[in-house]
Amino acid sequence: MCSYVIVGNPDSNRIDFFQQALERLEYPPARIAAWADLLEGRTCLPKIVQAGDCVRIESPGRDFDVERLLLAAGAAEAPSGERLSEVEARNLLFERGRIWVPYQWYLGLRLALRQIEDQLAECEPHRLTNGLAEIGVMFDKAQTHARLCAAGVPVPESLPDVRSYGDLTEKLRKAGWGRVFVKLSHGSSASGVVALRTDGRRTQATTTVEMARSNGELRLYNSRRLKVYEDASEIAELIDALCRHGVHVERWLPKAALNGASFDLRVVTIGGRARHTVVRQSRSPMTNLHLLNTRGDVEAVRARMGAAAWAQAMESCERAAKCFPNSLHAGVDLCITPSFRSWAVLEVNAFGDLLPRVLHDGMDTYEAEIRCVEREKPGELCILPN
Amino acid sequence: MAIYEHLQHFDGKPVVDWELGTPLTGPGETAYRISISWEEHEAKSQWTDKFAQFLTEPGVEEVTALIVGPWEGAMESDGSSEAATEAIVAAREQLPNLKAVFVGEILAEEAEISWIQQSDLSALFNAYPLLETFYARGGNGLHLGSPTHDHLKTLVVQSGGLDVEVVREVAGASLSALEHLELWLGTENYGATTTVDDVLPILNDNLFPSLKYLGLCDSEIADAIAAAIATAPILDQLEVLDLSLGTLSDEGALALIAAPSIGKLRSLDIHHHYVSPEVVDQLLALPVSVDATSPESAADEDDRYVAVSE
Repeated sequence: MCSYVIVGNPDSNRIDFFQQALERLEYPPARIAAWADLLEGRTCLPKIVQAGDCVRIESPGRDFDVERLLLAAGAAEAPSGERLSEVEARNLLFERGRIWVPYQWYLGLRLALRQIEDQLAECEPHRLTNGLAEIGVMFDKAQTHARLCAAGVPVPESLPDVRSYGDLTEKLRKAGWGRVFVKLSHGSSASGVVALRTDGRRTQATTTVEMARSNGELRLYNSRRLKVYEDASEIAELIDALCRHGVHVERWLPKAALNGASFDLRVVTIGGRARHTVVRQSRSPMTNLHLLNTRGDVEAVRARMGAAAWAQAMESCERAAKCFPNSLHAGVDLCITPSFRSWAVLEVNAFGDLLPRVLHDGMDTYEAEIRCVEREKPGELCILPN
Repeated sequence: MAIYEHLQHFDGKPVVDWELGTPLTGPGETAYRISISWEEHEAKSQWTDKFAQFLTEPGVEEVTALIVGPWEGAMESDGSSEAATEAIVAAREQLPNLKAVFVGEILAEEAEISWIQQSDLSALFNAYPLLETFYARGGNGLHLGSPTHDHLKTLVVQSGGLDVEVVREVAGASLSALEHLELWLGTENYGATTTVDDVLPILNDNLFPSLKYLGLCDSEIADAIAAAIATAPILDQLEVLDLSLGTLSDEGALALIAAPSIGKLRSLDIHHHYVSPEVVDQLLALPVSVDATSPESAADEDDRYVAVSE
């Protein structure tokens, strides 16, 4: 039995849930290395990690202090244009839902992950449940898409390198596509996602993004309420603004429906196996859970697909997870088409295992992860050589 | 909100998605849905080819109910129901028992209602004189003509924004057997151009002597329509009045409550509405079965939305 060290935000419910799982399995409580402390140099991992420990990286999200620090860390590398200086980043005032500069945030995250890697290299021998470079890849939708494609995982086709609304409409016309999802390359979950449909004359954008103008400056906010833009110039403004932050554009596959709502699946893989699965139902193009959508019945989906197709779909999720061989767990989002006959992986989430109270083999995701680490022999899967 | 689920039954028969190579078992007791799935669309399949195959199945002459799901391109906003409609018209000899047709049973995840491209469907009425049930979803490009038809009992047009021309076509039709008329008028934002004056002939002129069910649904002029119905002769003949999915508020509800003939209805459906709880109580006190579920709330009149539009 090892002890855990979690890199995370101490007030996060993710850490609470993990600590509860440790307690149920009679492990000692994990020691916490706060993202904020690591980023500020107030602590470092060699002071915390002891020989034989298992290190778990948790999401840095939902903490504005950490967001500011990641933005500040990314300032030096961020290209000019949509950029905050380090001082600006450190002094940002909280605004609910505000989309700041996602690419700079991503650069900051990557830098922080490299720092963690460097620090871990200085630590006593230990295990690590997340591939640090793989977290970086999972926060880059285009890179993730390319990796999945190369591994033969079914994914929606993408339009590479979309730079502007004009560029997008031109590429759509050439591809002969009528609808796509435009996503921030480095946004998490439903942040900055636009479902766009066009027939070449009329265009419609359904999105969680709200635009607001202040002193001639266009600001973007994530909202829980879906908004439908029908005005071409407004849509152009929205897409152009997102493009300045970098977007990943994918074909919008139709989703299957059950019980009066369409759905996709969140499949958590643990140790490379598809495990905890939830059906995310929605009456909108966005199915992410925190948009207040509801959960459906996994067994009903399995029954509609048939055992063989279900097994193949789960195999696709496992194949997606294998693209990230150093990651103990991954949250794979899977779209099933209305015929229930084909499917595609939409996202792979580095911190996609937050599914409280969802059990598989009698265990929640955290217990299953802890048990999985127990079974691993040193040198396999989730262990970084040291 | 929008339509996210397929019909399980159509014209009283269980719906089966017909796929290539599947024999028709119990063709007279099944509603067949023919559509081009995403996978078939990607493989460049055409609705009319699939339908041609369907027509070669033994027993097809017994088929009574047909649903046209997405045709090729429907999910990509490319192409209308025209080719499918022409193919069904041309198949009249092969489908002598066809009594029910639904053109465009397409779900929001495939194409939202305002993105469904319909076409002129009027030839279907002439081609199938025994047709009893006719449904269409999507108002764009839709034409019904003004058919004269002695067997049609049910006519339903679901739309997020219906052009007044379609309402006029219906009002100009001669449908002596029509019992159930349901028009989803929709919102101006998505092409609705019907005013209350345009529906007055339906309410006042005894156009459809057999009419028992009138639905003027999904409408942002629901209050004005309710007020017009309250004093219209049609209330004497209806069993069901359906003003659901729209923006009905206290104004229209109070007009209905005060209507002299309201008690002649068997049921009143206003689900998805903006009526206050006090007035809902008054509606529920009527000697009529009332569905006032799905109450909506709005800060002001401009904040009221029909249920199905985008």
